[in-house]
Amino acid sequence: MLTTPPHLYIRRPSPTTAEFTVTTRPPLTLPLRLALTSLTVLRLLVAIITLFTLYIRFHALLLPPSSSFPSDLSPQQHHLYLWSLTTHHLERARLSPAGQFISTQITTNLPEWTHLALAMAVLYLSLTIPLHTTESLLVLRGLGIQTSTTTGNLLGGICWPWGMGGKEAKPATTRFIPTEKIRDVLINEAFRGFEVRYYLIVVVEGEEEVVVVFPRLLPRRKIVEAVWRGVRGCLHEAPMEGGGWYNGRDGHKN
Amino acid sequence: MPEHDALMRVFWPTDLPRSDLKGVVVGWRNSALDVFVLAILEEVEPRNVETALQIGTLLRNAPHSLNRIYELCGQSSIRVLGLSNTPESVDIDSSWIRVATGQGRRVPTVTCARASSIQIILFERPLPGRMQYISLNPIALALGDKKGRFRQDFNDSGEEDDEKEEHLLKAKKRQLVEKLKQHSVIKHAPSAKERALAKIVNQINWAWELEQLLQKNVSRIGTRPKRSLSVSERVVESATTARDMMVVWMWNLFTIYVLPIFQRLFVLGLMAHRVAAEVLLFFLEWRARPKYAALKDISATAQQVEIRLLQFCYWPMQYVTLRLRKNDWESVTTSHPDYIRFYNSLWLVANDVIIGIALGSYIIDNSSWVGEEISNLLSTYTVEALQSSISWLMGWPAGLKLNSELAVFLGDLFLWVIDYWSNCIEALRPVLPHIIWFIGFSSFAGASMPIALFSDLLSILTIHIYSFYLASARIYHWQLNILISLFHLFRGKKHNVLRNRIDSCDYDLDQLLVGTILFTLLFFLLPTVVVFYLNFAIARMAIITLKAVFDTMLSCLNHFPLFAIMLRVKDPRRLPGGVRFELRDTQDFRHGVNDTPKPLPSTSVIYLKSIPLNFKAMFHQYFQMGHRIRKHYLSPHVLLCLLTGKFVPPLNRKNLYSLQYSMLPARRAGIMEMWDAVNSLPSPKRRAAPIIVPVLANGKKLSSNGGRIRGHGKGWGSNS
Repeated sequence: MLTTPPHLYIRRPSPTTAEFTVTTRPPLTLPLRLALTSLTVLRLLVAIITLFTLYIRFHALLLPPSSSFPSDLSPQQHHLYLWSLTTHHLERARLSPAGQFISTQITTNLPEWTHLALAMAVLYLSLTIPLHTTESLLVLRGLGIQTSTTTGNLLGGICWPWGMGGKEAKPATTRFIPTEKIRDVLINEAFRGFEVRYYLIVVVEGEEEVVVVFPRLLPRRKIVEAVWRGVRGCLHEAPMEGGGWYNGRDGHKN
Repeated sequence: MPEHDALMRVFWPTDLPRSDLKGVVVGWRNSALDVFVLAILEEVEPRNVETALQIGTLLRNAPHSLNRIYELCGQSSIRVLGLSNTPESVDIDSSWIRVATGQGRRVPTVTCARASSIQIILFERPLPGRMQYISLNPIALALGDKKGRFRQDFNDSGEEDDEKEEHLLKAKKRQLVEKLKQHSVIKHAPSAKERALAKIVNQINWAWELEQLLQKNVSRIGTRPKRSLSVSERVVESATTARDMMVVWMWNLFTIYVLPIFQRLFVLGLMAHRVAAEVLLFFLEWRARPKYAALKDISATAQQVEIRLLQFCYWPMQYVTLRLRKNDWESVTTSHPDYIRFYNSLWLVANDVIIGIALGSYIIDNSSWVGEEISNLLSTYTVEALQSSISWLMGWPAGLKLNSELAVFLGDLFLWVIDYWSNCIEALRPVLPHIIWFIGFSSFAGASMPIALFSDLLSILTIHIYSFYLASARIYHWQLNILISLFHLFRGKKHNVLRNRIDSCDYDLDQLLVGTILFTLLFFLLPTVVVFYLNFAIARMAIITLKAVFDTMLSCLNHFPLFAIMLRVKDPRRLPGGVRFELRDTQDFRHGVNDTPKPLPSTSVIYLKSIPLNFKAMFHQYFQMGHRIRKHYLSPHVLLCLLTGKFVPPLNRKNLYSLQYSMLPARRAGIMEMWDAVNSLPSPKRRAAPIIVPVLANGKKLSSNGGRIRGHGKGWGSNS
């Protein structure tokens, strides 16, 4: 429900500029927004709880023993500084029944290093695993082609359901190829596991490797063909008539 | 001028001041429908601007040569490109653009009579004064002329197998791509617009400085009555400049008579050091024969000294290049990587010395304790641990029933050598604090020095383990080889050396009998030899790992991209890693425009942004080194060597250290070259007396000249 098979969006403000976006994110409807929000909140919660267990375990390292104060101390004395405020609340949370429960459970069951490693793993997973992958190809006549991939960077797992209207998240990796260097744009096929995948490549002049467009999603042939036709029509002047010939099926195996 | 698709491309700086006033747009015209906007000159007549551009009024008072601009930007003149905020009723040239801009619009609306569709490419101008720039390719943090040198050096070494394999793989891939390239049917000849990209990058880098220059000269456009100063104004003028005159006189006295003497002395001292460095380098690089190892290949200390000396030889050259940068426009970006490299290496050395002083004073204060600890460690791990493990092996270890006689013989042999060695170490014990004191003292030359010395000390003090490893490996290897050939004999075969294959062979009965008996004997003795061999091989591997740790520390101290990381955090635009385009939606700015009587041509708004260099590229050299180490020590080849008892060659130091040399040129500049370079530095300019005839009629004084020359006159060390 939260993801779909890769599908294509085309943005074409003028005939000489086009952006082809392949994404696994379904169009944002209200239920989807709600689901994404709750998922994000859940993941943040998991992260916070993990951090809290770490605090419970290692609080002695963080606070010098003199400054750890009993829970019945009035908070007014410590509102002077943000730090003491934070530590005060953390201490109160630690000494609360839930905190005590967690601390006894953890200290009896997990050795220190396992706890640390586990917590790190959980933090990493909860914050960075991306839910959606978006890859796009921007074709600018006279300038070149730009491929971009948005995947899990730091906090990649937190998908903000509100900022997804027009502006996409900042792409993690982009690669711009000037038109001068583009030898050709082809559709190629390759074995991948037990299937044959068609994929779009850009052959770059003077480079040892070809550039694969949409390298993570590797969308289906229909999408790839549509993008290929669009690129043909957009990239060079004197556009060709809608892909009358097709040099993609060259049977070149990788 | 007919073009296929009337696509107009407009490069527009986003940080141009937005005003509602009428103005003239000037900039570069790269081709008929490809324009690059530099500035909007306000409240002037387009005709006047055109004449001013033709006779060069707008570029007057340029600090450096104008030809440089035209050469790098690829155009021969700045042109008038159009008008801004002009009513539709005014007729303009059909190739001119009509721009509507103002406070309310984030993106200007551009129309042109000839264009049917328009690409507006918005960019933020990099500030040349802060050394920001954009480039299509990532900035190179390492010097790039290393390949040839290292390839040549390794033509005859054992590294070649790996490299060859890599080359083969690459060639195969290249062939595949070549094949793929043959599939393209139509080859598009690049159009003028497509070829212009490299020039446009330069134009973007120049945009800021040129706009400043143009705006400064706007007031010269048109005819204005020039009025000379009145008498009272002259009095005020001379009164205010009298103090400046005195200061300038003093300054000139200083720069003409005092500064050159200091400079001369400094240069002479530098040259003396350079000669000394040359002599030392000669010793460090001396080889008895071309294929023999030089001192720097054997010892980490020699290597460290060599790196520092080479850096010392390179710094003046780098400094001279950077100084010459000041004689050019700030927008010339070719020397920015040099700047980063220079300050990176300076900073690393300074860091190294600071850490070294801390480390050194600690070691010197505690030299006796450190010496005690080290000799304890030595006797525990390199003597007692070995002794105990050997005696363990002599008495049927872990339930293995070894051949006791052989085990006792081998063990006694090794124990005897260890005894002798421990005597040597005992003799060394009283000297050790002095050695430690010396090492501590050396660390005032940088923390890398004691590390290198400790690394060498480790190699010297564990030389017995190395020799045990060699001896046991040799024995094991012989035995294995004999076993293999006897096994062939056992099967009635033999190894044909001439054809490198196994042939069958008719042996006599006695040959077979003796061979089989020997085979059995040796086979039963093999486990005993294996355990001894494994023992020493593991010890040897542990030492290699320890040295690898030392080497990693050294490479971190010598080559960490500290300056680059600082720049990345402080100002990412100084480390360009390429460009990125962002397509913006056209609607979000167009609905704000309600004064358009006719539909606009289809417009795409594109933002051009510079990508900062990513961290992976910064640490590229480290990744390469890690890859090399991994390939050398964790390859199946090495495992095979370990299993068959062949000698595992340590990774060639040069190979490991290619990282460290990546910031030094392949060939160091000779003494005479350095002398020439140092003397070619421009002498500090005489500061002109501030008798300034005001350029502007309204009495504003232009202080651009004086301020700039002050920056020049400080001589060495003013550039930071």
